[in-house]
This record gives sequence, structure tokens and C-alpha cells, in this order.
Amino acid sequence: MSPKKFKFAFLFIAILLFPVFDRNAYHMDLATNVALYGLLAMGLNVVVGFAGLLNLGYAAFFGIGAYTYALLNLYCHWPFWLGLPAAGLVSMFFGFLIGIPSIRVRGDYLAITTLGFGEIVRIVFNNWDEVTGGPNGLLGIARPSIGSWHFSVNATPYFYLVFILVVLTAFFLYRISDSKIGRALVAIREDELAASCMGIPTLQVKLIAFGISSFIAGLAGCIFAAKQTIITPDSFDFVLSVLILAMVVLGGMGNLWGAVLGAVVLGALPELLREFAAYRMLIFGLLMILMMIFRPQGILGGSLIKRELAKRQKDETDATA
Amino acid sequence: MREKNNFYKFILVRLPAIRYTLYAFLFLAFIFSQSNLFANEDTVSIGVVAPLTGDQAYIGIGVRQGAQMAIEDSNVKGPVFGDSKLKLIALDDQHNPTQAVLAANKLIADPEVLGVVGHFNSSCTKAASSIYHEARLVQVTPASTNPEISRQGFDTFFRVCATDDVQAPAAADFALHKLGVKKIVIVDDQTTYGKGLANEFEKKFKAMGGVVLRHDGITQGEKDFTPLLTKIKSLSPELIFYGGVYPELALLLKQSKKIGLGATWLGGDGIFDVTLIKLASPELAQGVYSTMLGVDPHSLPQAQDFVSRYEARYGEIGSFSAYAYDATNALIESIRRAGKKDRQAVLEQMRLTKDFAGVLGTLNFDSKGDAIGKSVGIFKVEDGKFKFIEEVKPA
Amino acid sequence: MGPDFQLFLQQLLNGLTIGMVYALIALGYTMVYGIIQLINFAHGEIFMVGAYLGLTAIGIAALLGAAVPWWAVIIFVFLFAAAGSALLGGLIEKTAYKPLRGSPKLTALITSIGVSFFLQNAVMLIYGAREQNVPEILPAKQWDVAGISISLIQLVIFGVSVSLMVFLTWFIKNTRMGKAMRALSENPEAARLVGIPVNRVIRTTFMMGSALASVAGVLFALNYGSVNFHDGYLAGLKAFTAAVFGGIGSIPGAMLGGILLGVFEGLGAGYLSSEWKDVFAFLILVIVLIFKPSGMLGENVPEKV
Repeated sequence: MSPKKFKFAFLFIAILLFPVFDRNAYHMDLATNVALYGLLAMGLNVVVGFAGLLNLGYAAFFGIGAYTYALLNLYCHWPFWLGLPAAGLVSMFFGFLIGIPSIRVRGDYLAITTLGFGEIVRIVFNNWDEVTGGPNGLLGIARPSIGSWHFSVNATPYFYLVFILVVLTAFFLYRISDSKIGRALVAIREDELAASCMGIPTLQVKLIAFGISSFIAGLAGCIFAAKQTIITPDSFDFVLSVLILAMVVLGGMGNLWGAVLGAVVLGALPELLREFAAYRMLIFGLLMILMMIFRPQGILGGSLIKRELAKRQKDETDATA
Repeated sequence: MREKNNFYKFILVRLPAIRYTLYAFLFLAFIFSQSNLFANEDTVSIGVVAPLTGDQAYIGIGVRQGAQMAIEDSNVKGPVFGDSKLKLIALDDQHNPTQAVLAANKLIADPEVLGVVGHFNSSCTKAASSIYHEARLVQVTPASTNPEISRQGFDTFFRVCATDDVQAPAAADFALHKLGVKKIVIVDDQTTYGKGLANEFEKKFKAMGGVVLRHDGITQGEKDFTPLLTKIKSLSPELIFYGGVYPELALLLKQSKKIGLGATWLGGDGIFDVTLIKLASPELAQGVYSTMLGVDPHSLPQAQDFVSRYEARYGEIGSFSAYAYDATNALIESIRRAGKKDRQAVLEQMRLTKDFAGVLGTLNFDSKGDAIGKSVGIFKVEDGKFKFIEEVKPA
Repeated sequence: MGPDFQLFLQQLLNGLTIGMVYALIALGYTMVYGIIQLINFAHGEIFMVGAYLGLTAIGIAALLGAAVPWWAVIIFVFLFAAAGSALLGGLIEKTAYKPLRGSPKLTALITSIGVSFFLQNAVMLIYGAREQNVPEILPAKQWDVAGISISLIQLVIFGVSVSLMVFLTWFIKNTRMGKAMRALSENPEAARLVGIPVNRVIRTTFMMGSALASVAGVLFALNYGSVNFHDGYLAGLKAFTAAVFGGIGSIPGAMLGGILLGVFEGLGAGYLSSEWKDVFAFLILVIVLIFKPSGMLGENVPEKV
């Protein structure tokens, strides 16, 4: 095993064993939230980091996933394990929908389109009382069960569930980033016109990025709904979209693990700052500024292209040697 | 390039001390957040959770201060049992249910905590209630009025205020039969509280034979309501029911005046705050009706001491400070009776609470944990004050 | 003129009033964006700080007694708020954004979110979390013109906003600094090469944008009579939308976008539903962007090959 692989394996086992050693309910709940943020940040990274499209309405997809499962469960009594893929697919459908304006709308104009979409979704959740329960939200959403064993208030099983999804997503995204689509995405990010001249079907590729990204958010939303058992529209507001974006950028755009690391830092920081009471969010803001100034490229940031070129050079020298 | 020698590089390169201070600071923050490390045999804590930062901080801070006074009063009286001093752990949930669940988990994980006063918003109280129930930890909400919460059947849940299904019918009855209005408009602020109250009111008012010309919503935090008010003016309603909190109502009153809309306003407990009169000016607030859970602490003889001490210390009393004070005191008394650091024992004592003498009146709980016989008071603004009009007992 | 038409005109006027304020805030967004392509999320908070500075200035003026006429107080309040916010804007630019020049665009965006958190909470800690009452310093005058009522504060809002917009247009067009700003937004490298003091121009842009936002904040506070530390969030979001709607980077675009957004909102709340008005506003925005991908007046930059 190479040292890098060894480090990964060590980290993997450490996280896997964490709930065994730490039985504190608060730590477990926080860890689960952070893992959910990590999943969301990874998903947003596909659009923002890989494809270079700014999405300011990502919380909406998270919300769509949560409401899809909640409604299917409450009205049609779907179990969690059926609701999970359904939430992902419905969210993905809306992801395609929001991807369509990107045919013509670019850059920051696209960002405001997604922001508008996010606000529309939240307002619909809030105002469509008959279906979504309005600001009261939906309550009594079923927790998952495996066979005859049911999930409970204890966050530990949710932590493992999210952790497994994070690992699967990471593997999937890793494969994607090395595939034709991944390269096409990076090409579009670096120069869309050149990419389309090279014969890359830019629209399809962008739609795929939006689709994957919102699918992941939908899964996260479904787990969130099953964990909270009650959801309200204000859990899916613009502030959440911005926070997830901050996680992606802080972790390092386009870097698979950067997004997760950003989620860990920004997810856990407000909790570490609890002792400062009223000064908590003030210090949070200050630390956000300082972190960006000291690591403008993100914690694990760096140009994907540079790394790619370095790797290729090494491969070539290896081959000639 | 000289550009690069900026201020921050200077700090990083020349003054590593600052960098290490930052690391040390974060590390210490981490250590302190692990409150279990400093678990003290002699300390017993009560948690209070409310929005302490963000746009509803003004109301959450009032709740925290009420609880703080109850704790200090108790410590003056002496330890709750043995040598145990009481401590308050105030947590911020930013009126976000996710944060509320996190805060609840933090409290149940701390063995010192024997009870919780909170949360403020119904959505947060509801989301956290299952956590407390699982941990057998008493939860007393000072302010969440949504009736659904106590219908979940959690024996750990208590509430010291009246629910919307007491408040809304009282308001509807008062409007229809006492004020004698038939045609009304309803405006709410699209929050769990405001819309919940307004919907309940609409149902009752229609059932009693009233006519609702229009039900529309405003966005909390917005400032310009003249378009909506101009439209309402063209409907010429006799009364406008407002489900929401006072900052927006102050704006609604001012802008109504500007466009010459002269209907009477009626609102719930969310507008019962003297700041409303200050913001809208006494002239414009004149004649506004408000229902309030219970009565104004200023008007109660047994609350005089609490109110004057509170106002001497923190200034203007918040709408829910007295509720938080009563909730905390009821909880402290149960802890004293239990006489040991045992959540189940405190819970059993809390369920046995009988005729607890709070500053807002005598407190008893029904089997669902809701306060029994909590009346609703009707108030009217007159000469810059909320004047008590009448008391409505629940049916 | 029927009553329906009068109602329509009244609603239009209401919308125009709020639109003017949006336009003033949107100008700051667009100026900063035009020069360094940064969406300055903290701009809404500068607007809010401006409102609080105005409140402080009213407090100072009150100490001087009633001898001062109301128009002198107003002028003092505007100058105080504008100067304070300009200094704050410059300080933020120097400490938070300047070290990030040349970094990826999104980095500065995240920093601006941090600044926004910081300012909001700093104001909450300084002034308290409760809604603050703004004393009425304007006489409550109102006129009826053909059945439409216009108040003095509305006239002040129109007067101040229009003159600031005219001044800004003149400034950008004719002064050396204005020309430097245009050059910088056209081509930063070339601007540097011809000796334009890039840092100074950027700092000035921030300060001017902040001053405009703070004037909008004072107008807002005077019109609604109360301020809250949370006011910057919604107003900032709306003004940002307005700036993009008009074509971000374009100064007439920001003015048009702000005014149109105000009118849409006013008419939407007046004729459709106040609950759904934001949905209409955003739907119109998305539809306009699909047909005019660079906003109403934005430059359609042809793609270079």
C-alpha cells in the first residue's frame, strides 16, 4: 500500500469507528449534519467546481428531495428505501429544468436565475398550504427501517447511512471526473467556446452536471427529512445555499475531498463557537474572511489542469524511462 | 511586485505569534465546547433554547433573561439539593429546526442538564421534542402556541402558554360579537406562528358567520406594504386581523395612515409589545386590539416585584420574559422536589405539579402537558398603553 | 379618470418610490461588478449600516436642539451617513478584498459573505437586536394630485435619487476618475499600463457605491420610520436582482432594473397577490434573461474566437 492509500484507509477506519468511541448524542448529531453538508457540498461541486457554473439556489434541490420523500411517505406510505431514489430522481428532473436556461444565460446571469429558482421553490413550499402544510411544514415523516429494525432518535445509524453515501458519491464522482464527461466539464469551465468547437455537446454536458448535482442534493434531502421527521420551508433558504457554496470554495473548488473538508470546517465551526454566545456569528464571519485571505485557492485547492499536466508529464517520463 | 507585501503577509511571515494565537484560540474554543470535560458534581443545569442571534434575537434574548432571573433567584434561596448550584445553559437555535435538534442533542448529552426551557418557535419546539422525549428530559416551552406539538403524546412536553386553538376562537368571538364586525380582511406574515394563527382565526370566524373578504400574506422583514394596503382599502373592510409580530404591524399602521385606510386592527400575542406603540407612535397605535396569552404582567399584583426587578436590570420587559420566568421556576421547583440528579425523577415531579404560583397566575398541566385554564386576555391600545379589556376563558 | 385608473396610478407611484431606493443600492453592486467582477454580498449590509448611521446622526442633531430647520438636519444626516459608509466601504475593500485581487472570482464572493455576517452581527451587538424607532424629522406633509396622494418623503426620495443618478452619470462621463473607472472596467491590464492608479480607482468605486447605498439606507429609514439590523439582507437581495435584471456592470441598467423591480413588485402585490409577488418578480427575471441573456441594458459581449 502506498502511503497515500494508507492514510486514506486510516481515515476511513477512524471515521467508521468514531461512533463506537464517542457515544455523545450531540457529537453524533453534529457529525451527521456535517456529513450531510459534505454530501451537499460534493454535489454542488459538480456544477460549481467542475463545470464552473455558479448555482445560488442549491438548497432548493435539497428541499425538493426532502419534500418529495415526505409527501410520498405521508400520502402514499412509501418506505424510505423507495423514497430515497424517488427523491433523487424528482430533484434531478428539476435540475434538468434549471439547466435549460444555461443554453443562453451565462455566468452571473445564470447565478441569479438559479437564485430566483431557489426563492420560487421556497415560496411555493411556504404558500401551497394544502399540499406542503405551508410554514407549518410536514410532520410525522417515517424514519427508515431495515427489516424489523427501525431507526430511532439516535443519530448514529443516520451517520453511517450518510457516510456510506458520501463514500459512494466520492467514488462515483472520482470515476466521472476521469471520464469523458468529467473532462468535457473541465473543458467547458476553462473555455466553453473552444470546447464546443472541439465537438463537445456543451448543452448536454451541462445538463448532465446539473442532473448529477441535483440528484445528490435530492438524496441528502430525503435523509434529512427522515432524520428530522418534520420539515419546514425555512430549512431550505438562501442562507443554506450560500453556506454550501462557501464550503465548496473554502475546501477548494473542483477538488473532490475539498468540498467535504469545507463542510467539516464550516459545519463544525459555529458549534465550536457556541461559547461566545451573542458574538458567535460575528466571529464566524471574521474567521470566514481570514480563511479566504490566507487560503484564496481553498484548503485543498489548486488547478485541476496543473495537476493533470503534472501527472501526464510524470506518466510520460515513466514511460520513456 | 510590491503589491504582494501586504498587511496579511506581514502578519503571517513576521508575526507567527499571531498565527499561533489564532490556532490556540480555536483549540481553546474546542476545549470549552466540550463542557463535559468540566463536569462538576455540584452543578445542576437548566438549558434554555431560543433564537439568540439573527432576526428574532430580540425576542429570544427576552426569554433567556427571564430564565436567568429565575435561576439567580433560586441560587439566592440556596442550593436545589445537597451543595448543587443551578446554572443556565443558553443555546441559540436561530429559529432553524436543524439547529434546534442540534441544540437539543447537546443538552441531552450533558448529564448536568435536568430540564429545558424552550424552544421559542413552534417549528423548533416540535422538531426537538422527540429528542427530549427519548432522553426523558423535561421540556417546557414558554411561547410555542401550535396545538400539534402536545398532540404528539410526549410525556416530557410541557407548555405554560395557551395554544392557538384557544387564542384564535377568542379573537374571532370578540371581533364578531363584541366589536360587531362582519366583513374583514386577514393579513399574515407567512411564518409558522403568524399563518397558523391567521388560518385558525379564519376558520373560526367563517364558522361563526363572518365574511373574510381576502386573506393575503406579507414577507417578514419587508418594509413596503403600501400596494397591499391600497388594495385592502378598495375592499373597505371593517376590521383587519393580523397574524404576525409587531415590527411589521408598526409599518402597516404607519402606511395605512398615509394612504387613508381607517379600519380597526386586531392581532395575536405577537403584537403585544410596548415597542409596537413606540415604533408606530401612540396616536397611530391607538385603538389596536390584541389578544394575549394570559394577562399583562404589568397589571398583575403578584408580578410587580418581578417586573420592576427585570426592568431595572435589562430595561423593557419582553413579551415572553414572564413566561420564561414561570416556566423556569416551575422546573426548578420540580428539581428541588426530586432532590437528586435524576431526569426521570424530575419528570415525575413535573407531572405532579399542582397549583404552582407563578407571576402570571396559578399553573396546572393537563395530561398532554398543556397549561390548564390559561385564559386569553383582550387588550386595546389607549394613550400609549395596552389596556386590559376583558378575559376570555377557554371553552 | 376612473377610480380604477387612479388606483393604478397610485400603485405605480408606490412601486416607483421603492424602485428608486432599489436603484440606488443596485448602482453600488453594478459599479463594483463593472470594475472587479465581484458580486459584493456585503453591499446590502452597507445599506443597513447607512440607515443606522443616519439614526445616529439624527440623535446628534437632536442634541443641538430644535433651532435647526428640518432641511438642514436632513442634509447633515445624509452627509454623516454617506461619509461614514464611504469610510467603512474603503476599509472593507482594503482589508477584505484587496488581498484577494487576482484570486478566483468566487473567493472574494465568499469573503463578502463573511463581511456580511460580521457587519450584521456587529450592528446587532452595538445597537441591540430590537427594531429601532427613527424619529420623524420631515414634516408629515401630503398632497393630493388628481386623486393620487404624494407625500413629502416620496418627493425627497425622488429628488435625492434622481439628482444622485444624474450626478453619477455626469461623474462617470466627464471626470478624470470617472474615465479611469470606465477604462478599468474595459481592460484592467491596459488601464494599468497607461498609468491609471488601479488601487485608488477601485477604492474610490467602493467608497462611492457605499455612499450611495447609505443614502438609500437613510431614505429607507426616513420613509418607514424604523430600522433593524436584518434589513440589509432582503434589500440587498432585491437590489442585486435589479442590477442583474438591468444588466450588471451597466449604470443605466441598474437604475432601470431597480425602478422596474419596484414597479413589478408594487403592481404584483396590488393586483395579484402579496404572497406570490416575489415569485412573479423572479419569473419575469428568468424569462427576460432567457430572451436577453445579458439583462435589459447589459452589453452583449460577443464571444471571441
